Amino acid sequence: MFTLSKITKTFPGVKALNAVDLIIHPGEIHAICGENGAGKSTLMNILTGNTQPDSGNIIIDNQPVVIQNPQQAFDLGIAIVHQHLSLVDSLSVAENIYANQQPANAFGFIKFDELHALAAALLETLGMSNIQPTTIVSQLSPAQKQMVEIAKALSRKPSVLILDEPTASITEKESKTLFTILRKLKAQNIAILYISHRLEEIFLLADKITVLKDGTSQGTFPVAVLTKDNLITKMVGRTLKTVNPTSSIQQEVLLEVKNLSGQKFTNISFTLRRGEILGFAGLIGAGRSEIARAIFGADPAEGGEVWMKNVRLAINHPADAIDYGIAYVAEDRKSQGLFPMMSVRDNVVAASLPQAVEGKFYSESAARKMAMTSKDDLRIATPDVSQQVINLSGGNQQKVVLAKWLWTHPEILMVDEPTHGIDVGAKYEIYEILKSLASTGKGIIMISSDMPELLGICDRIIVIKSGKIAGSLLRDEASEEKIMSLAAN
Amino acid sequence: MLKKIIEDRVFSLLTMLIVVVIVASIVFPNTFPTFDNFRQILLNLSIDTIVAVGMMILLISGAFDLSVGSVVAFAGCMTAYLMQFYNVPVPLAILAGITASLIIGWVNGFLIAYQGINPMIQTLAMMGIVRGLALMVSGSGIQNLPYWFNAIGQSKLFGIQMPVWYMLLTVGTFALLVNKTIIFRRFYYIGGNEKAADLSGIRVKRMKMIGFIISATLAGVAGILLSSRLGAALPTMGRGLELRVITAVILGGASLSGGYGKISGALLGALFMGIISNIMVIARISGYWQEIILGIILISTLWLDKSLQKKYSTIA
Repeated sequence: MFTLSKITKTFPGVKALNAVDLIIHPGEIHAICGENGAGKSTLMNILTGNTQPDSGNIIIDNQPVVIQNPQQAFDLGIAIVHQHLSLVDSLSVAENIYANQQPANAFGFIKFDELHALAAALLETLGMSNIQPTTIVSQLSPAQKQMVEIAKALSRKPSVLILDEPTASITEKESKTLFTILRKLKAQNIAILYISHRLEEIFLLADKITVLKDGTSQGTFPVAVLTKDNLITKMVGRTLKTVNPTSSIQQEVLLEVKNLSGQKFTNISFTLRRGEILGFAGLIGAGRSEIARAIFGADPAEGGEVWMKNVRLAINHPADAIDYGIAYVAEDRKSQGLFPMMSVRDNVVAASLPQAVEGKFYSESAARKMAMTSKDDLRIATPDVSQQVINLSGGNQQKVVLAKWLWTHPEILMVDEPTHGIDVGAKYEIYEILKSLASTGKGIIMISSDMPELLGICDRIIVIKSGKIAGSLLRDEASEEKIMSLAAN
Repeated sequence: MLKKIIEDRVFSLLTMLIVVVIVASIVFPNTFPTFDNFRQILLNLSIDTIVAVGMMILLISGAFDLSVGSVVAFAGCMTAYLMQFYNVPVPLAILAGITASLIIGWVNGFLIAYQGINPMIQTLAMMGIVRGLALMVSGSGIQNLPYWFNAIGQSKLFGIQMPVWYMLLTVGTFALLVNKTIIFRRFYYIGGNEKAADLSGIRVKRMKMIGFIISATLAGVAGILLSSRLGAALPTMGRGLELRVITAVILGGASLSGGYGKISGALLGALFMGIISNIMVIARISGYWQEIILGIILISTLWLDKSLQKKYSTIA
């Protein structure tokens, strides 16, 4: 049994954890919930030896311990599966699983036969025998990589397994496989600490839920006594009103895509009206982002036409799309949306530099003025717009990206997984922003793997399957089951 | 204060520079703090600084150019060659030298930005090729250059040699451009996150190519100026210059991963190194030590940066 008692950790200006208690029993799946900045990452970093608490005790089987580094955490039986994969793409599955603990002979030469046998046996016990130990990791799907990551953590025979947002980059169906494996591990008396923003899966999987809010524990609850609504209330400390369901769709067709084809999709045709929020549903890898990227000129299209307000567009680079009034909030905020080390101000004006001028010259104060306007309009929480954007929470970073695009005055806004990895409160704020943009007559395309959010705010949902349109559902007829049946079969 | 020192390299370098100047003035009161000596320091670093300005722009965008030293030699030799063997008039020969450098920059930029060749390998190969071209056109060197050509680098204005003025002009112009124009601001975004910059409508490939063209062109200008000052074009000019210039620019606040740096930092970095080597000369330290100390300065700057960053990030 693992006990954390009265763990406190202070960073200058922030009490990241305040006397947090946590008890983890063997054979239970224990979910940790909380908004971004609630202290989940700090807690994990303490458990895995990346940071030390200021005060408090960690007790394992009645023995107080100090975890000074990740190696020590391994030795104590704590293994973590990180949100960001730690696999080496160019090496085989087996070499990744047994990284730095490969069986070797007396001269330090790796015994590959034994390595492969060990890996095969481990994968077999996890029900993942469809993954070959000799396969190079770069050839695996994101979900398979996730499984290998778990196998890697398990190769150290941990008594506690920590999973940080394990379903963030895998599909619904693959999540189910993951859950089966986790239940198996639970049956083997391994304690599982599960962190996720997806409340549905927590209710599906967890035995107990510990809620963190602003660094303090709100208590540990058996999953049976909680409902989703009162869990959210505990996390955010207020009730969230539902998204306004009214539609602001108008008659005028803004965008018409005809038979668009690219590397990962063929013959895509659809229209987008003024004021419409159009959802793109589908499995990861179905080609949704690729369609948006092709419209935006980020990837070359191989055929087809894009018309906007009855004019055929010629787009070879995102710069052309921006000139036509099209914006694209890319899928991966950190790697494609933000300039992480630059200030909020510089990020906000990045796509509209010609506006940040006084006379003909770039002016920092003009840029600052633009950023301040966005900070107020979108309620970006930052002490000052000269702050590095990397210091902001995920939700506020996403608002900065949105601000960047709003300054290009787009008529069409494509958003790709806009609420990926951000907390519940900020999610709703993003929905409100999208809704109000639609009400001012902009057309919005929203790509999302979060079905409740698509159902919540879209006027119409197009389901993409293997690069083709599998179907289109109006708000009233759409349901999770219908989307899934179109997307998966 | 600590925050300012870590975040604002121009500020911290200036502070360090003032300390070094004061200490050197106290230790060598007769030789160091004189007008003649400072004039000499500035003259010695003028060529490096002009090249450093181009290098700073490249580093801001996250790239660098190892071929600049060879371009310095080639531009000088090419210009001299045209004047000496084909009697090309001075202005035309200079124009040809600069154009040749521009083409070298264009080739670098095209292959790196559009064809995806690694910048280090590309400019390393170009460094060899261009050095070979310089040897080819100049043999063991070309002397007795025309009077008007030599006048460019050897005349004085207000008692200070012309190369210093050209350097100040270059620094001033590019400082203004980089701070105040939209097109040059884009280099910061490219260095900050290339993918995000491209998706934000910045034509990254084109801008990168422009960066290499600017860097090579400024190196060409510097090379022509150097041979004018020397009154001769030598194929060995600018050997090791890339190391000095990159050191100056890193000292001046650029980061190899891009996104940081100011033009004034390039000047201050070069000034710092110029003063250090001047002090070494005054202190009669053997010339062999100069390169060793140069390398040590570069490594310790990077090391200091890393450890300060680490410390600072745990505070924040």
